[in-house]
Amino acid sequence: MAEVEATNQTLLVVGGGMSGITAALEAAEAGYDVILIEKNPYLGGRVTQLYQYFPKLCPPNCGLEINFRRMKLNPRIRFFTLAEVEKISGEEGNYNVTVKLNPRFITEKCTCCGKCSDVCDTEIDNPFNFGMDKIKAVYLPHEFAFPMRYVMDPSIVGTDEAKKCKDACKYDAIDLDMKATTFDLNVGAIVWACGWTPYDASKIEYYGFGRYKNVITNMMMERLASPNGPTAGKILRPSDGKEVKNVAFIQCAGSRDQNYLPYCSGVCCLASMKQSTYLRDQYPDCNITIFFIDIRALDRLEDFYTKVKEDEKVTFIKSKIASITEDEATGDLLLEGENTNTGERIQMTFDMVVLATGMVPNSLDLESAPSVSKDEYGFMTLDPNNTGIYGAGCVKRPTDVASSVQDATGAALRAIQSVTRR
Amino acid sequence: METNTSYDPSFAREVFENVDSGEEIKMCMQCGMCAASCPLREHMDYPPRQIFSMIRAGKRDMVLNANSIMMCTSCYTCQVRCPRGIPVIDVMHGLAHYAISKGILTRKDTAVFGREFWQQIYKTGRIDEKDLSRRYFFADGIITGIKKSLQMARMGIIMLLHGRMKILPEKKIKGIKSLRSMLDKAMQTGKGGSEV
Ligand SMILES: Cc1cc2nc3c(=O)[nH]c(=O)nc-3n(C[C@H](O)[C@H](O)[C@H](O)COP(=O)(O)OP(=O)(O)OC[C@H]3O[C@@H](n4cnc5c(N)ncnc54)[C@H](O)[C@@H]3O)c2cc1C
Ligand code: SF4
Ligand code: SF4
Repeated sequence: MAEVEATNQTLLVVGGGMSGITAALEAAEAGYDVILIEKNPYLGGRVTQLYQYFPKLCPPNCGLEINFRRMKLNPRIRFFTLAEVEKISGEEGNYNVTVKLNPRFITEKCTCCGKCSDVCDTEIDNPFNFGMDKIKAVYLPHEFAFPMRYVMDPSIVGTDEAKKCKDACKYDAIDLDMKATTFDLNVGAIVWACGWTPYDASKIEYYGFGRYKNVITNMMMERLASPNGPTAGKILRPSDGKEVKNVAFIQCAGSRDQNYLPYCSGVCCLASMKQSTYLRDQYPDCNITIFFIDIRALDRLEDFYTKVKEDEKVTFIKSKIASITEDEATGDLLLEGENTNTGERIQMTFDMVVLATGMVPNSLDLESAPSVSKDEYGFMTLDPNNTGIYGAGCVKRPTDVASSVQDATGAALRAIQSVTRR
Repeated sequence: METNTSYDPSFAREVFENVDSGEEIKMCMQCGMCAASCPLREHMDYPPRQIFSMIRAGKRDMVLNANSIMMCTSCYTCQVRCPRGIPVIDVMHGLAHYAISKGILTRKDTAVFGREFWQQIYKTGRIDEKDLSRRYFFADGIITGIKKSLQMARMGIIMLLHGRMKILPEKKIKGIKSLRSMLDKAMQTGKGGSEV
């Protein structure tokens, strides 16, 4: 990797989700040079995996496309995918950052013809679909991927399989000698926008995620509903591919619970209500039950709650479900709990259960980097003694896209102030 | 279930001030996890969540007379699962003690057993199975005592054969004095409740 030009007037944005993209664009459009670093082979972050956005139920790709266009048009932004920060030293106005670039094995010459993938026989679990299907070991991460370029899984590099793929490429876009490289950057301020990771549902032992096939997470539901997902957009239950007739959502799966994730993620209530509309669109007869402690739908989002509540096929029951048991023969799931409005015991059976799990922040947590202040849950906070590094979006607060974008715009302004102060 | 028609803090205040661990219920968010996790839920008139809600609603008599507060077997399922970290068991036991101290004996058996168990521990530092059962069985007079003893005779013999029960009285443990001072100290830290 050649030297990447940057000065102490350059801003570094780490994380290419909605927050990172926004911070980078806002700063670049204000006239600052920006370098954007993304760990995945594509930009967009978690929202690329969503089918629709609440409350408008529009596709996330449309907003992403607009942002990618803005990026293409702006020469002040340079971005790197498959890139991670290794080291940060220095202080506000003058940081030295070491970036590691992982090999993609596919160069800019790639036209996305897909010939390499056609001849490849090795398959890997598809990370984009949470392992619900397989994908060739040389693949396009997803159909709207930006940059639109294939990537080869390192597991086949060095095998005959990889050579076969290389030979199939008419454009000579496969470079099997690509190695991980590192480069150093001098930047004036850093926006940390690494977003969130879904809470690991298998930790909640009494819900059986990982043991019971038809217990899935809310993010898996997004993939099942997406036309580019493992079932081409048809919501089918994982154990036998059957259509679903009776689906339960368990809110606060692990959330607001001292034993698991103590805080409210603020979006999972809305996500479940949104997903109930996915089901209702596909299956007019499907019964949906949402088990909740309390529904959190703040300010204008309350209207969405009101709308979903009007649907007679959607039932809301106030109860924290205490256990799930699988009927091994049918794959059906028995849910038990207490209806806290009536005091009655709940014992209800469903075809499929969606766990509304929360968001865990990917805060700046590198050994060789300045330590930044965080709250009791690990979310980054504004540190008055350590300006120059700013969190943006879900590393600061579990929230929706609109708030992430607002927050990222604020972070961009702070980063600009950091470099102009010098 | 008793629906909470109104909020009446008077009993809640009484509980916070006088019941061991009573203040812990301030953290309860009424999720129902404890109620649904309890192996005895079908036998309880009001599971823990409802008890805590009734305390807030000022249902003093219903709470102190509830069979559930004396039914808890300390299995700990609710306590490890409570999302707010409430020591549900301690609260239930605290309420049971408090009810007894007010002369309410909804489950007299349980109260007698608890009292005898505690007294033996205090006296000898261990449980003498035959002495404990004798006191427990005969608490309601000689006729019921004989009946209950006969019912449990087989179990008694098996315990004897396996050395789980001895013919001679159990001896005091070494260091009984230190144990007692620990128990005394524990009694002092509590808010009172029943005198045993
Ligand atoms: C089930 C579910 C449904 C949702 N539905 C909606 C919805 O309908 N509408 C809505 O507004 N919001 C929704 N949300 C919330 C939405 O997903 C978030 O608001 C959004 O993803 C926040 O964007 P972000 O950029 O902060 O984080 P992310 O989307 O997580 O992006 C972070 C980026 O940083 C990258 N990264 C991570 N670590 C590193 C690293 N060390 N180095 C470099 N890069 C790194 C990641 O690969 C990722 O690309 C939903 C959330 C859930 C859980
Ligand atoms: S948003 Fe809803 S489901 Fe998510 S943690 Fe908060 S209350 Fe629970
Ligand atoms: S589990 Fe805890 S928070 Fe939930 S109702 Fe019971 S005591 Fe209250």
